[in-house]
Amino acid sequence: MQRKHVLVTGGSRGLGAHLIRGLLADGYRVSTCSRTRTPVIEELLGQPEVSDRFFWGPCQVGVAEEVDTFVRDAVAWAGADGLYGVINNAGIAQAGILASFPNVESEKILQVNLLGAIQVARAASQYLLKAKDGGRIINISSIIGTRGYNGLAAYSASKAGMDGLTRALARELGRRGITVNSVAPGYMKTDMSSTLNAGQLAQIVNRTPLRRLASEEDVLGLVRFLLSDAAAMITGQTILVDGGVSC
Amino acid sequence: MEKQEILSAIQKLVADILEQKGLDVVTLDASTELLGGELGIDSLDLATLVRELEETTGRDPFSEGFIEFRTAGELADLYVR
Ligand SMILES: NC(=O)c1ccc[n+]([C@@H]2O[C@H](COP(=O)([O-])OP(=O)(O)OC[C@H]3O[C@@H](n4cnc5c(N)ncnc54)[C@H](OP(=O)(O)O)[C@@H]3O)[C@@H](O)[C@H]2O)c1
Repeated sequence: MQRKHVLVTGGSRGLGAHLIRGLLADGYRVSTCSRTRTPVIEELLGQPEVSDRFFWGPCQVGVAEEVDTFVRDAVAWAGADGLYGVINNAGIAQAGILASFPNVESEKILQVNLLGAIQVARAASQYLLKAKDGGRIINISSIIGTRGYNGLAAYSASKAGMDGLTRALARELGRRGITVNSVAPGYMKTDMSSTLNAGQLAQIVNRTPLRRLASEEDVLGLVRFLLSDAAAMITGQTILVDGGVSC
Repeated sequence: MEKQEILSAIQKLVADILEQKGLDVVTLDASTELLGGELGIDSLDLATLVRELEETTGRDPFSEGFIEFRTAGELADLYVR
């Protein structure tokens, strides 16, 4: 049976783990990478119903050679299913006022979030182009890439850069039926946002028209749609999943 | 690899692309312009061709940066050891 193969970076925790579980439940073939092999990965590799549709590789997004190797291995694993979708989800964040923010931290953020996404898109587009039957690239950006936020200059720049990558690649790959979009979530409760205290979270909820934080399930809903045939005419867009907080 | 071998590899890759597009296969030589000429391949085809050549030859002449090339011969030269 032919199954569409979707590659998701950073599936070991947080949003990425939720996305790979959801896509496996939908019947996709799913490959993912991370720096650590977490209990989530162990669990999926050990689950008979999904283990033959699931591949994990160790890979540090941001290091081009590791990305090339992982993407090649994932496509080889998928065999005749090739590659249909790519989700650039792996990301890191660090907050701090730029005036005293160590340069090395900015470099790390740009290296993983922006250069990493470019490396993955480059390695994967070679296979998407070869497949000749279209495809999907989804960049997990952030509302912080479209709006200004205190203390997140490098992260914000990395996500705005990702949205630029989305628009440029949409133009570049459109004539082969490959769509490229950014999904920009608002604050979700994951390890990444664990430094926010209860007061800060309550303030975000108060400013949100829909009166709650975004969840990984909300993001999965949009990702599912963008992967589907129903979204074949949508490309080059940054779509926010934030309960309206930035409207 | 010798230049002639690499030119043959380019010829084969171009032929595959043209065949997949349903176009007539063109015989190329060292002076054939890869883009904008008579060949019928576009910049995305050329990008996949370059990546395939990297796999065939085990060499990536662009690892240090972009190098201009126009013809099949100029591209082949980049892969000659
Ligand atoms: N949480 C939020 O509120 C929020 C809001 C908007 C957007 N986002 C975006 O959503 C995405 C996922 O965030 P999250 O909240 O799920 O974060 P998270 O809980 O910190 O998880 C990050 C994931 O990325 C992986 N990762 C990090 N650096 C990597 C690298 N260099 N190479 C490979 N994998 C790497 C991690 O795995 P390892 O540590 O095992 O490598 C982990 O699986 C990110 O792009 C983030 O910017 C998050």
